[in-house]
Amino acid sequence: MTQQTFQAVLARLVVDPTYRDLVRSQGERALPSDLNELQRQRLIFAAGNKGIDITGTLHKGFRLGKILSMLPLTCALLGNKRLAREVDLFWQQHSSRSFYYLEEALAFCDFIQKRLRAGLRIVYLEEVVEYESARLELQQPLIGEDAPQPRQIRFSHDPEKLLVPLARGRRPRNVPKRSCLLAGSLGSDGSIEWAITPADGNADAASQRDYSSDFA
Amino acid sequence: MITQAFATSASHARPCLSPISKLGIGLAYQSPLRPFIETSNEVFDFMEVVPDILWTDLGRDRTPRYVEDSASVDFIRQVRSRMPVIPHGIGLSIGSAHRFNREHILQLSGWYEHFQFPWHSDHLSYNLARQNDDEINVGVTLPLPHDNEVLDLLVPRIAEIRSAMPIPFALENNVYYFDMPEQDMREAEFLNRLCEMSGCYLLLDLHNLYVNTRNLAVDPHAFLDDLDLGNVIEIHLAGGMELDGFYLDAHSGRVPSAVWELLDRTLPQCPNLGGVTFELFGSWFSQVGEEQLTRELDRMRNLWVRHQPDPKREAR
Repeated sequence: MTQQTFQAVLARLVVDPTYRDLVRSQGERALPSDLNELQRQRLIFAAGNKGIDITGTLHKGFRLGKILSMLPLTCALLGNKRLAREVDLFWQQHSSRSFYYLEEALAFCDFIQKRLRAGLRIVYLEEVVEYESARLELQQPLIGEDAPQPRQIRFSHDPEKLLVPLARGRRPRNVPKRSCLLAGSLGSDGSIEWAITPADGNADAASQRDYSSDFA
Repeated sequence: MITQAFATSASHARPCLSPISKLGIGLAYQSPLRPFIETSNEVFDFMEVVPDILWTDLGRDRTPRYVEDSASVDFIRQVRSRMPVIPHGIGLSIGSAHRFNREHILQLSGWYEHFQFPWHSDHLSYNLARQNDDEINVGVTLPLPHDNEVLDLLVPRIAEIRSAMPIPFALENNVYYFDMPEQDMREAEFLNRLCEMSGCYLLLDLHNLYVNTRNLAVDPHAFLDDLDLGNVIEIHLAGGMELDGFYLDAHSGRVPSAVWELLDRTLPQCPNLGGVTFELFGSWFSQVGEEQLTRELDRMRNLWVRHQPDPKREAR
């Protein structure tokens, strides 16, 4: 049991800088009771070592890399400072459970959507997060032969004028209003095909084209 | 304790040193390297792949648990038709005290049926740990103390791995950014004992050793003097970078000159070596470029031909 506890505490020292500071300031009092004397000594030594900080930095870099690579448009819209704040809040509520990028990115989308429902106000964010979340869900690994269900995102701004600049790393300004739906489905070659239809769903009037290259 | 160790050793020992295929020079797969791999296969002899990136582990409560990326697996299959493919896992977390990841071994065994790799490897570390009633994945290879109780944890696990796949299994010496006081033995002795007791082999990552030299003042020559190099079946090379006063195992570019010197020194002393592999993270490939990558692989081959018997190819 003590090996398990030792490993759990060492992992926590890496991922949780607040706990690291606590062990630094309180020493043994901040450690669980089911550790032997040598394990306590090693953990206090590790907590006080700069090497644990750099290991924590590597852990953070690994987690942040998942979000940056999977949600480039959301990250571009948030900008560095706001992204850092939101990611910090997200990490306080969600521990790292998986190596896999998709799981972390979808959990972050879910977190941002909850933040929006709770009152976070950032122009265009709702549409952009829903778009990237839908794109990731369409790209989820297939279980069996079942293709993922098509996804529809309701836009109140022009998707092209919003998403294309973000895909190039630029935050758009003054995007024209446009009430429409962006529909995404998985093509036979595995790529996502996007089409815009008016919000009333009139398919005849739809301006349909493949936007995947524009938004990817 | 030593008597007990040898008793364990007898029950898990390798029947003899298996003849390891002398493959030569390897390149670690990353998806941005695909075009290079497709067009430059004359500069390397085998491809190493992290199998975990070609499947998604949906979690312990899901069925099926592992979902493979069919496009990537098809690519690996194409490469396998031209050269051996060696899996080098990151997901086993063999040192986790709270549980042993048997499902991972089962999944890899399925791959063995398909790809018939000559050996396989993983990291001598842990990344999964208990967190309250759940589990955390730290995403970095955390160190295991060089203690007898860790040997006791690892040896039966390695026996399970060896019985699941009838090929050599190697563990990679870890990289450390902090030390642990009062370990039962030094790292080289720990690795020697682990191989002796369990029958596993060693993947000697010379860049990890160099990182430990830079950050923790490890003497690389004393380490190599003490290490039983007969256990080494593969060597890793890579480049790194500095951050906040540390030198990182970033796989970010050219192999440092000190690591080339370690390779030059080590190669002639590894009678069971199967290959030397270069690791480069895909995101650095555009910066390194095809020409530089080819030069690194050529330099590896020149040393391989000079020091290893039965070279597959002439020096370029």
